[in-house]
Amino acid sequence: MKKFLALLLALVMIFSLAACGSSSSTDTTADADETEETSAETETEAETETETADSDNPTVTIGVFEPLSGDNGAGGKQETLGMQYANYETPTVEIGGVTYDVELVVVDNESSTDKAVSAASQIVAAGASVVLGSYGSSVSIAGSDTFADAGIPVIGVTCTNPQVTEGNDHYFRICFLDPFQGTVLANFANDELGATVAYCLGQLGNDYDQGLINYFTEAAEALGMTVITESFPEGNSDFTSYLTNAKNAGAEVIFAPCSTSYAQLIIEQAASQGVEIPLLAGDTWDSNVILAAAAGTTQSIYVSTFYAEGGDEAFEEGFKEWINSDSTNLTNNGGNDTIAAVSVMGYDAYYVALEALKNAGSTDPADVMAALPTTTYTGVSGAIAFDEIGDAERDAAYIKVANTETEAWDFVAVQTIG
Amino acid sequence: MNETLYTSSEKKTGNVVAICVIALVYVFLFLLDNFLPSNSFTLMLIPVLKKGAIYSLICVSMNLLNGFTGLFSLGQAGFLLIGAYSYAIFAIPADQHSAVYQYFDGGLIQFSIPEALGSVLGTNLGSFLGAIICIIIAGLIAAAFAALIGIPVLRLKSDYLAIATLGFAEIIRAICQWSGLGTITNGSNLLRKYTSFSDIKISFGDTVFKLSTIFPFLIAMVSILLIVLLINSSYGRAFKAIRDDEVAAEAMGINLFKHKMLSFVISSFFAGVGGALLAMYQTTIQASAFKTAMTYEILLIVVIGGIGSVTGSCIASFLYIACNEWWLRFLDSGSVFGLSVPFFRDGFRKVVFSVIIMVVVLFFSRGIMGDKELSFAGMIRRLKRKKKPAKAAEASEGGDGNE
Repeated sequence: MKKFLALLLALVMIFSLAACGSSSSTDTTADADETEETSAETETEAETETETADSDNPTVTIGVFEPLSGDNGAGGKQETLGMQYANYETPTVEIGGVTYDVELVVVDNESSTDKAVSAASQIVAAGASVVLGSYGSSVSIAGSDTFADAGIPVIGVTCTNPQVTEGNDHYFRICFLDPFQGTVLANFANDELGATVAYCLGQLGNDYDQGLINYFTEAAEALGMTVITESFPEGNSDFTSYLTNAKNAGAEVIFAPCSTSYAQLIIEQAASQGVEIPLLAGDTWDSNVILAAAAGTTQSIYVSTFYAEGGDEAFEEGFKEWINSDSTNLTNNGGNDTIAAVSVMGYDAYYVALEALKNAGSTDPADVMAALPTTTYTGVSGAIAFDEIGDAERDAAYIKVANTETEAWDFVAVQTIG
Repeated sequence: MNETLYTSSEKKTGNVVAICVIALVYVFLFLLDNFLPSNSFTLMLIPVLKKGAIYSLICVSMNLLNGFTGLFSLGQAGFLLIGAYSYAIFAIPADQHSAVYQYFDGGLIQFSIPEALGSVLGTNLGSFLGAIICIIIAGLIAAAFAALIGIPVLRLKSDYLAIATLGFAEIIRAICQWSGLGTITNGSNLLRKYTSFSDIKISFGDTVFKLSTIFPFLIAMVSILLIVLLINSSYGRAFKAIRDDEVAAEAMGINLFKHKMLSFVISSFFAGVGGALLAMYQTTIQASAFKTAMTYEILLIVVIGGIGSVTGSCIASFLYIACNEWWLRFLDSGSVFGLSVPFFRDGFRKVVFSVIIMVVVLFFSRGIMGDKELSFAGMIRRLKRKKKPAKAAEASEGGDGNE
């Protein structure tokens, strides 16, 4: 037992050294009396520099706060890919006349609110000037206070819940919000699909599903539609009864903004049951996983999203080439090179961060935070400017339909609330 | 279980050393909160220490039930959830209600205990006392649920008890997420903006000291101390008797149901307290985080620490949290000491972690501490003992001293 304890303590020592060494490459205030630690540190510093660019440029750190595992792992990975591609394309930035190398520190928040605090602390400890993320509003809110205490600004990429930016100064966001998206989808269901009865299906306990359904219902009822809402428990795999309920209720559209893992099951079971009611969903369904599930069926699937393929040829070509050049990237993108809207948003978020760094003229998080409200950028997904709450001023969403033959998204319409 | 007997002088020096060590820890925590410069080390140390302290309490409360009373319950996540929600609901400031309960017209409960006390006693003292009151309320509500559930459930034994309590935790989670109770629990959405650790401060005149890391340690220590006192009391002996042999215990005149109920309710009370602290640590609470996986995580820590060892649970909690959320994160980052390793990528940490856990469970099945306790009195005795033979060896072998 004593031997085991000794072994364990030795391991603990090694791990702590490694942890300090790998996370503190931009840190200048570390204790100098621990010689081992500092030597490990200088080693990493030297290594990272030679790795990123063969130059003596100082480094600016951008934190990436994304889920790489858990329920939202797939989406989080795609969003991170967009940032990594942008970093590959533009690895340096000129801040106040000095060229800096940009280092991305990617930390996995495990899609879980109870891991978000320590994940956020990890980014703060790495000395990030600005943070990008997260996919999923609840983890964004859970990590928010840690960034606020450290005074680091955060740019939300695809977290659509109004609560993320509400009542704080440090959280910004480049995508549209749930109230907007819910209204857009209700308008689309009424105008384009001519539906008068809508059936909403969300996961119990998922704030994204329930929030979007709430806003959809509000807007749809204002348009004179009838809305029936049901929730399924977590881990549910049999949707036949829900689909039957939808059919019996005479629904003309099924609104199911749930996560992609459930979406696959819903699509497959709707197809096998012969439920021909159009399926409608929000930005989470804009994924190649959905296309794969819909392939070969006659299901019509509509999504509202941030970006429609074909918006920027040069970007798409470069991104696809980059994805295909590396097997890890390809795996992270779900096995093929279909561009997810979240990747585009991640790409734009990176450039917004660079723009903010340029405007700030320093790598100090406080300066970046001060510079962000007036930062504007025209990205692949459109013009980005922040309003007084810190949200991007977006007035249009793209509606796409899944083409079940070519396994691609077909552009349908640009929908506004007006 | 053989209890080591110490002489009164050994006990006395042990207690003095223990008090000194604890005082040193608190001084360090106080410095950490207020004076030490924040660098990459302390920035990670603080959340890990906080969560470690909270998990220590949660694991000790589970150990009371599983390790000392022999009741294999898997309802811990459910009680944590009740504690966390009870705490959060009573600690959200009135002006934040409309923002938090955005889909439920500002919710049903329109007051906050820390805020109400703050208006009388001043913000700092108000939120300090208010938080403690809310934590106690959280524990009491969890205990009340435990008492209700205990009546049918505690008549079951071993596996059946585990299944029943597991089911209970799932039901509680589903009820919390149900939009019918949305005006209280906020349905599927987050509860936030309540008093958290960073709001806990103390003021002497004009100087304000932060207590954000000390606070969870303080609550956890007091709670664990109460549990230890209970374990060492006559009730504790009855619990151990029930664990070792129910029939024999009953023959000795121990009321089985009464004692099981007592253990279950007290364990749940402290789980509720732990849940409240967890809510304070996370600053946001969502029912979906309290899955069965959380119970297994806690059970795992208890097993690694040693079933039936309070100090084992505490040590294992800190080690587990530090490894999981700090030390092993480099496995995800793709490089060690600047060398890039191709298979070090997202998720690799979990693979390595599972292997470590498997090794511990397979080869150290009694955990770090078994059912022994780490005591300063014991350490002193061991040190004394070691000195004597070492001296003897030195004398005989002429200072070879190869220990």
